[in-house]
Amino acid sequence: MRKKTIFIILLALIFAFASNASAKTKLRFFYPVGVAGPLVKVINGMVDEFEKENPDIDVQPVYAGNYNQTMQKVQTAVLGGNPPDIAVVEISELFSLLQMDALIPLDQYIEQEGGQKFLDDYYKGFLGNAYGRDGKIYGFPFQRSTPILYWNKDMFRAAGDKLKAAGLDPDRPPKNWDELVAYAKVLTIREGNQTKQYGLIIPGGWNDWIFEAFSRQNRSQLIKEDGLTVTFNSPQNLEALNLWVKLMQDLKVCPVLRPWNITPDDFIGGVTAMMYYSTGGMAKIRKTAQFNWSAAFQPAGKQYGTPVGGGDFHIFKGIPKKNQDAAWKLAKFMTTPEMAAHWSIESGYVAVNKKSYDLKKMKEFLAKFPQMTVARDQLNYAYPKMMAVNYQLIRNAMTTNLDAALEGKKPPEKALADAHKLMEEAIKGK
Amino acid sequence: MEEKKYEVVIKIFVLQIAAIVMILPFVWLISTALKNPSEVFTENLTLLPETFRWANFVEIMDQAPFWLYMGNTIIVCVGILIIQLLLVIPAAYAFARLDFPGKDVIFLLFVIQIMLPLESIIIPNYLITKKLGLLNTRTGLILPFVASGFGTFMLRQTFKQIPQSLEDAALMDGAGHLRFIWHVLIPLSRPTIVTFSMISIATHWNDYFWPLIITDSDEVRTLTIGLGMFVQQESGSDWSLLMAATLFVCAPIIAFFLVTQKTFIKNFLTSGIKG
Repeated sequence: MRKKTIFIILLALIFAFASNASAKTKLRFFYPVGVAGPLVKVINGMVDEFEKENPDIDVQPVYAGNYNQTMQKVQTAVLGGNPPDIAVVEISELFSLLQMDALIPLDQYIEQEGGQKFLDDYYKGFLGNAYGRDGKIYGFPFQRSTPILYWNKDMFRAAGDKLKAAGLDPDRPPKNWDELVAYAKVLTIREGNQTKQYGLIIPGGWNDWIFEAFSRQNRSQLIKEDGLTVTFNSPQNLEALNLWVKLMQDLKVCPVLRPWNITPDDFIGGVTAMMYYSTGGMAKIRKTAQFNWSAAFQPAGKQYGTPVGGGDFHIFKGIPKKNQDAAWKLAKFMTTPEMAAHWSIESGYVAVNKKSYDLKKMKEFLAKFPQMTVARDQLNYAYPKMMAVNYQLIRNAMTTNLDAALEGKKPPEKALADAHKLMEEAIKGK
Repeated sequence: MEEKKYEVVIKIFVLQIAAIVMILPFVWLISTALKNPSEVFTENLTLLPETFRWANFVEIMDQAPFWLYMGNTIIVCVGILIIQLLLVIPAAYAFARLDFPGKDVIFLLFVIQIMLPLESIIIPNYLITKKLGLLNTRTGLILPFVASGFGTFMLRQTFKQIPQSLEDAALMDGAGHLRFIWHVLIPLSRPTIVTFSMISIATHWNDYFWPLIITDSDEVRTLTIGLGMFVQQESGSDWSLLMAATLFVCAPIIAFFLVTQKTFIKNFLTSGIKG
């Protein structure tokens, strides 16, 4: 008899726990890790804070690899009818996700928060990639960056006399393309056939992104905002690519196709005096570089210009409404002034919330680390990153052809034309 | 035949150089794993770190539950191997020594499986795994790999080479299929079985994409996913941590190879003599 009572009590307890657990909204949150540092832990910590404030929501943060792998995990899950509730993917993937009909628009949520007034707290440059072709907003900025120019102050000073002889100031970085070439020439050190020090590295791998910056600086772009009209083959872009070929093939002041993730190590190791790189690399360089360095706007062509980069939050279709509501709460929480500042300090990304920069802890951080403000200030000249369906195919077309031109295997005109054609085909889904 | 002394010297010299070339990356791996991040890129090449920085290992353990991942990886790899052997040996036996209708066509299908890259069947595999309710489980990590076309092919070739007379003798002594497999085929094919096991374990130890796609929680995730956290696209990696993680991930498998290698070579030699 006693056994039976205990059994019943146990059973009741189990049911109580089970129903208790199911009352909580469970969120699966996929995210990539793009920069060095204990970011998995940082994300887990932010999620813990969120759960403390929202005890009825249970978030499972799921590390999903790099940007490409995260997108593949998301796509497989959506196709398999098992979508995540919320995910961060690379910003150019938006149109592919929309084509799969995977996302819900966030307009309603933003309306509830105060509409345009709420959006005004966020940097406009980062919202450009959030909208679909229907004008609705499908993404919310989270880990965002732009490429910037890093320069080794000590190397500039060491070459001071030579720079002055060439009419250049050794205490500042180049401000336009002509100066970029001039500085890179002086800062390159050769011994016989060996290059001891490069003036500049424009890395490969994500060179389509850096190329987009040069295109913007020359008042052109790669694909228009509609995601349909390809302008890759424009005369301004040809001018930009010719400049790259000149730096790498003719002047040899920049190595050809240096791997993307090795480039910061080249900068840290004193292989190069300047590099184009994501702001995402800044925290690592601060920790390891043992010389004076700084960051600057990318030199201007006809104007200053850069695309933005990084990843946005997206909320998915095919999950219960209460999960979508909870997912929005999470996205909003992760981008409050405090959280965005915390994320920026830990990761090196730009804080997406303008109010983050009014916080005391952010001001103290920037006082010690003024280079971090460059990326934010460059946002005044930022454009949305190109977006189109089949983005991974398009990227492949761009990088392989840019690579071929830079290696001297294809004339620049042909490389641009070939890529242009492949991109149009990818957009039409051929 | 006696070797001349200078021949031996040259041989040893060449082998030593080859050994150094093979070992150097490992030494470099261990050295970088113990360095301070700022020591990794310096002008002077140093093989030994200034101070051994064991904290790198503490730090990687702090960032991901590597011991848990290690346990999962071992369960998954051993699980895959055991079921593979249970399936592959009888299948190879059937293809090598039995006659049945459609044998060649079925064998062709098995061989085609070798050529299918995992990525091309990932969606159907995902759907099946989901239907079976095995997403985010270790069983789901094991199941898609248990029927190995490659193993069947490899063992079939070995089984075919075993002389018919042995089979006749076994039959005469009253052995059935299973007895013959257990007492004659398996002992005689041990080198192949060991080789296949090593390849299988190494392959699945390194699986990344499938575990990444179907698992969500730390409780079932494997080592490669933990390692992935240290390879960064946007900023470049923190090399000392990446190498510490790499060392932790590959040390057991290297140890495993070092241990099995002896039996592996011994088996090869003895079976050659008996042949």
